[in-house]
Amino acid sequence: MTTGAALSLHGVTKTFGDMKAVDRLDLTVPRGALYGVIGPNGAGKTTTIRIIMSILFADVGQVSVLGRASALDAKNRIGYLPEERGVYRKMRVAAFLSYMARLKDVAERDVAPRVARGLERVGLAGTERKRCEELSKGMLQKVQFLAAIIHEPDLLILDEPFSGLDPVSARQLRDLVLEEHRRGATILFSTHVMPHAEEICEHVVMIHRGRKVLDEPLGAIRRQFDPRTILFEPFDPAADVASLPRYPDVERVEATSGGYEIALRPGSDPATAMQRIAAAIAPARLELSRPRLEDVFLRIVGGDTAACVRDELRGEVA
Amino acid sequence: MSSRLRKVGQIALRDFVATAVTRGFIIGLLITPAFITLFVLVGPRLFSQRNFKAQGQIAVIDPTSVVTPALRDEVNPELIAERRRQNLERNLSQVPAGMRQLAQSGAPGALDAAFGQIPDLRIVERPSAADVQQEKEWLRQAEPGAERHLALVVVHADAVMRPPGGQYGGYDLYEAPNLDDRVDAAIQQSVRQAIVAARARAQNLDRAQIDDVLAVERPPATVVTSEGERPSAGGLNRLMPVVFMVLLFMGVMMGGQTLMTSTIEEKSSRVVEVLLSAVSPIELMAGKILGQMAVGLIAIALYVVMGLALLLSFAMLGLIDLWLLAYLGIFFVLAYLTMGSIMAAIGAAVNELKEAQSMMGPLMLLMVGPMALAAPISQNPNSMFSTVISFVPPINTFAMLIRMTSSAPPPLWQVWLSIAVGAVAAVGAVWFAAKVFRIGLLMYGKPPDFATLVRWARSA
Repeated sequence: MTTGAALSLHGVTKTFGDMKAVDRLDLTVPRGALYGVIGPNGAGKTTTIRIIMSILFADVGQVSVLGRASALDAKNRIGYLPEERGVYRKMRVAAFLSYMARLKDVAERDVAPRVARGLERVGLAGTERKRCEELSKGMLQKVQFLAAIIHEPDLLILDEPFSGLDPVSARQLRDLVLEEHRRGATILFSTHVMPHAEEICEHVVMIHRGRKVLDEPLGAIRRQFDPRTILFEPFDPAADVASLPRYPDVERVEATSGGYEIALRPGSDPATAMQRIAAAIAPARLELSRPRLEDVFLRIVGGDTAACVRDELRGEVA
Repeated sequence: MSSRLRKVGQIALRDFVATAVTRGFIIGLLITPAFITLFVLVGPRLFSQRNFKAQGQIAVIDPTSVVTPALRDEVNPELIAERRRQNLERNLSQVPAGMRQLAQSGAPGALDAAFGQIPDLRIVERPSAADVQQEKEWLRQAEPGAERHLALVVVHADAVMRPPGGQYGGYDLYEAPNLDDRVDAAIQQSVRQAIVAARARAQNLDRAQIDDVLAVERPPATVVTSEGERPSAGGLNRLMPVVFMVLLFMGVMMGGQTLMTSTIEEKSSRVVEVLLSAVSPIELMAGKILGQMAVGLIAIALYVVMGLALLLSFAMLGLIDLWLLAYLGIFFVLAYLTMGSIMAAIGAAVNELKEAQSMMGPLMLLMVGPMALAAPISQNPNSMFSTVISFVPPINTFAMLIRMTSSAPPPLWQVWLSIAVGAVAAVGAVWFAAKVFRIGLLMYGKPPDFATLVRWARSA
């Protein structure tokens, strides 16, 4: 166990019937970190989170949450937005949030101010007396998020928080997550949509078939999985791009819908290569391609599996 | 108060408010007593026989020639009215004072009206030697607008004077088709009374004196208890076991059913996982059980208060031992914890109400069983059967309450032994339910069978 970690799992395994949902998982999340757990549907993300929350219990392995052996002992310091989230449809918004605040042991005198402040903060002031069933899905998701943070938790666990949201609501929710992180909360969130993780994570954990396949800071991943590819679009569409492979840095050139992808030879310096290309053909666009988590994931799992999960990982981005 | 207890209290409060502070619940709670009141007020008017009037002609062939005059007296409207008044006074002297006062305070003639209208029967005397077969034809004759021919009475020749060494004769009765039973009863009673009067006269006996000799005033009984004396409630105390059992059944069903449906609702709306981020499954279940127990208690308390007010207004409060209400509370808690926690487990295990129905079948049998056994238990409260069933959970609570409210309550040690058995059963049921609840809440898909529930309980 790592002392001082907000969260640590050691050798956690969970089996349902013949299926291993989580397989010997080790994970340590330092206090104040923003971790993303990514992987396709059925990878074991939700089961892992439920084990962290002590909603499910591991068959084997140890869990430590905020220094306690079980989340049950630290529930008042944890905020949780489950994937399968619901509300009491007939309950009024303020009553629901107040109820959740009281269940999280918020002092009675603080309940009403926090509810009012929270609704104001997420742009839902004035909805206090509305029944939950009267809200749109995006508004409801904000209320649910608010219920998860109403007690200002030290650890915030979000399971697929952006699922089903339109781009505007997703952006608003992303900003709220980042606000909580700035406040000092440790954040762990799961998603099967890689771009969401790329946007806000500091550190990424990839899970595939219950096993951890990657556990690295985002920067390190980018360095490690540098595709050494340059995206190039000539200023003159009729420019002689076919001559580029003759340059010593360039391995091959492939036409894409918006221009060309130039693959560099191993050992070549991308900065020098970009200068040479720009000198040879005036560019309208010239940039170093950044590795996408999706590509990283597909490279790690490889083979047939990659083909199966590719569409799923892109699913909500398209 | 510890954090966990406070959370259980919060859940209980929310569940109670969400159930009890709703228009539907309040209407549902009041609708039963409203229906009973309506039935009491309107029922007698709806089902009253006062509009019925036996009316028509009765032909009599009377070879004794003394029965017919006596029969005319019997169907005399004034004499019938006088006889009714005397019967009424005799009956009222047996009922509790409160009800007697209520009856006597009614509108003049109200009770006469309640017995129905006085028959209007006319006697048609036929020749004593008339041919019975021919006279039967008279019954078939119906003239539009004329009085209906109701019956032909053929008095036996020895109906009034007993032949030496023999028995008294009687009479034969022939009736028109589709004669109302009440008319038949009125005719039979009148003929019987007429023959008795004729026989008395033939023996030179004064009928009034005979009636006086036979009449012994039946005094209202006084119940002597260690606390003092009180008037007997007559047959009303036979209702007590039924009333208490229905109260217990209603309280358990009301709390248990709502507990089950609210659990299903929380599971299907996926709010349950949000709650489980704040409380443990056992805290959630405990809160829900307590909240709905309060709902059941409120319902029982309301009906008990209404019942007591009714008894008080009739000066019949002595009809029940107030200690029984404390036992009703104890048995309710035990029965509710046993049945209610199993209902909560069923609610957690299924995905929708329809799936719960099949699992509720055996439980409903256990609940309704005591209703069917109420009569044999209350009639023989200390029989082997009644005694044994008082210690068999989960129906022991119902059986013991029936015995306690019967005319021969069981000894106190049996009551407390039954309570102890009920407490053990309740703890077992809550333990089982907690195990199933914890696993079932996050299980979706095919609903489990009973064997699966047992497996969950063993594995959790």
